[in-house]
Amino acid sequence: MEERIRRHPSIFQRLAPKWDLSMRQREGLVGLLFLSPWILGFILLKAVPIIAALGFSFTNFKMLEPENTRFIGLTNYINILKDTDAGASLFGSISYFVLSVPVEMIVALGLAVLFSSKRLKSKLLLRTLFFMPSIIPAIAIFFIVSGLANPGSGWIDRLILIPLHLPPLVGLFGIFPVILALWTIGPGFLIMLGAMQSVPPEIYEAARVDGAGPIMRFFSITVPMISPAIFFSLVINIISSFGGVALLDRGLSFSSSLSPMEGYIVQQMFSYSKLGYASALAWVMFIVVMAITLAVFSSSRYWVHFAEEDDDAEY
Amino acid sequence: MQNTRLRGLRRFFNVSTLTFRLWDFTGTAMLNFFIWVAVLLYLSPLTYMITTALKTSAQLSDGAAPLYPAVVETYTYQGVAYEIYNVPNGSGVKQWALVNSFQKYSEFIDPANPGAGLLHWDGFWRGLKKVYRPSITFSNFENLWKNIDYPQKMRNTMVVVGLGELGMFLSSIAVAYGFSRFRIPGGRFLFFILIGTIMIPDSITLVPSFVIYARVLGWNGSFLPLIVPAFFGNAIYIFLLRQNFKAIPRDLDEAAMLDGAGPLRILTSVILPQAVPVVVTVGLLQFFNAWNEMRMSSLYLGIRPDLQTMAFSAQAFVSYGFTPEVLQASAIVLMIIPVIVLFLSQRYFMQDMIVTGIEK
Repeated sequence: MEERIRRHPSIFQRLAPKWDLSMRQREGLVGLLFLSPWILGFILLKAVPIIAALGFSFTNFKMLEPENTRFIGLTNYINILKDTDAGASLFGSISYFVLSVPVEMIVALGLAVLFSSKRLKSKLLLRTLFFMPSIIPAIAIFFIVSGLANPGSGWIDRLILIPLHLPPLVGLFGIFPVILALWTIGPGFLIMLGAMQSVPPEIYEAARVDGAGPIMRFFSITVPMISPAIFFSLVINIISSFGGVALLDRGLSFSSSLSPMEGYIVQQMFSYSKLGYASALAWVMFIVVMAITLAVFSSSRYWVHFAEEDDDAEY
Repeated sequence: MQNTRLRGLRRFFNVSTLTFRLWDFTGTAMLNFFIWVAVLLYLSPLTYMITTALKTSAQLSDGAAPLYPAVVETYTYQGVAYEIYNVPNGSGVKQWALVNSFQKYSEFIDPANPGAGLLHWDGFWRGLKKVYRPSITFSNFENLWKNIDYPQKMRNTMVVVGLGELGMFLSSIAVAYGFSRFRIPGGRFLFFILIGTIMIPDSITLVPSFVIYARVLGWNGSFLPLIVPAFFGNAIYIFLLRQNFKAIPRDLDEAAMLDGAGPLRILTSVILPQAVPVVVTVGLLQFFNAWNEMRMSSLYLGIRPDLQTMAFSAQAFVSYGFTPEVLQASAIVLMIIPVIVLFLSQRYFMQDMIVTGIEK
């Protein structure tokens, strides 16, 4: 093939006619050219700000008086240890992650199992309906939950509690995270369903012949076969539980983020103009999220069966 | 395959074909019934928002009214409209209009027989239930249209969405192509970094990027902080596109290469036509995200009301403590409708998503 390409000059050749590059080097160069927007973006939008935030976190940088900025060492980090609000917001962020991610994963996986049944009719319509709430902005969910949970006039009182002569419940607004988590299953559900549908049916047939029941087939065929999809869903759910935007944006500003820690950082930044302290808080959150990420990624070698990508050696 | 299974089960349970078919049919019916009940329950909270948007404030605050938008049925007697009540009397419950109400008794008119004149009824009228009929109103939307400059918000949203899409097409697709088709020195390492950047929380870059955008570049009060990052590629879109590009057989690229096509031409005429579902998926994700986006716009567009998007104005409107609830609901519905319509009007979204080998 290399011989033929030499006779038909293409961009590979035109790119660097003067440089004495081999085919392989040219290919790498063109590839890097295609990657360049992302590499540039990574440096400018991720790497530099992260390092800069680390730098800020050692100073008393204030938005309104940047000229008084000076190096104060670890003072910000020591203050975080003393700051009970920071501790509470970090605890809130981690609790939301711990409570919401398992619900999202289990419901999405269960739904995907039901959808892979041949007996289910009008699947396309149903999966569209199950996905739909995942693109609804959080403000709508806030509004709906307040309408449902309002004591006395809320729909939960009027539809369920009053007809059953039950006393009104307080703290019904606590259903917000539950509804939000249930309405976030969409992407994970579709990703896992897609993976289940691509499992070759012969494998199930062979297991059935060998006498494996439905539960055994689920745990020893479905789960390992779709483990990359489970892993990917887990990753996107972790990101959104920490207030980030994984696949779909819920339209929450930083100050109303699902993650109380983000809200606290923005409060320190804009209400008190403490950029240095906010940067230190952000670094603490960064370390926590990265530790969780590292734990999840390193656990993946025990339970995620990645597809072989043999051609990687070639390309 | 189905037949083998059925035969096996039938032998196991030792039942006749007819019994078995009946049992099988029941199972199918129950599964479908269960899933439809589940989906209706799942979507049911949405009805609160939709019905509220179609009510007037008076309808919403009427505690005795049904949950759907409804008004009290009235009957006009001698030029005056009277509310109709369910009145129990000796011969069942009658629907009569209340004309004169007193403590001990009330006087009604029977709409079916007004000639009979005022009817005497003993009892306290407040114990009676009013007769409601469904009645929806679009006045909230008219009201909103007068109060909010929707054409302007729509224009702003379209600028943000459109340029975001352009950035996504120019960069994310190119980067995904680079990752999927070229042997790049350190390519695996770069891909690992790409996956790592998906996990980085936004708050870590918040302070420095705010300082750079607002103080150094002076982009406060402009669309640029919302749009420019899209032109540098989005890690999760790149990942999704790359997975699907890799699954496209390489034979066609090679044939095109032999015909003298350069890498760009291969991307546009070989790869993209075969990757329509994933490109549409990523395009829709970008659309939904740019439409709902609040993180950047709340930081940079707060000082410029004329640049605010649909999402921003809906949020601002809802956050005013004194906005009537019915108007809040209609503002949210107006903001959501375009997204839902776009979502329901296509069939590509997240079809055939390929997610394997995240680490490689």
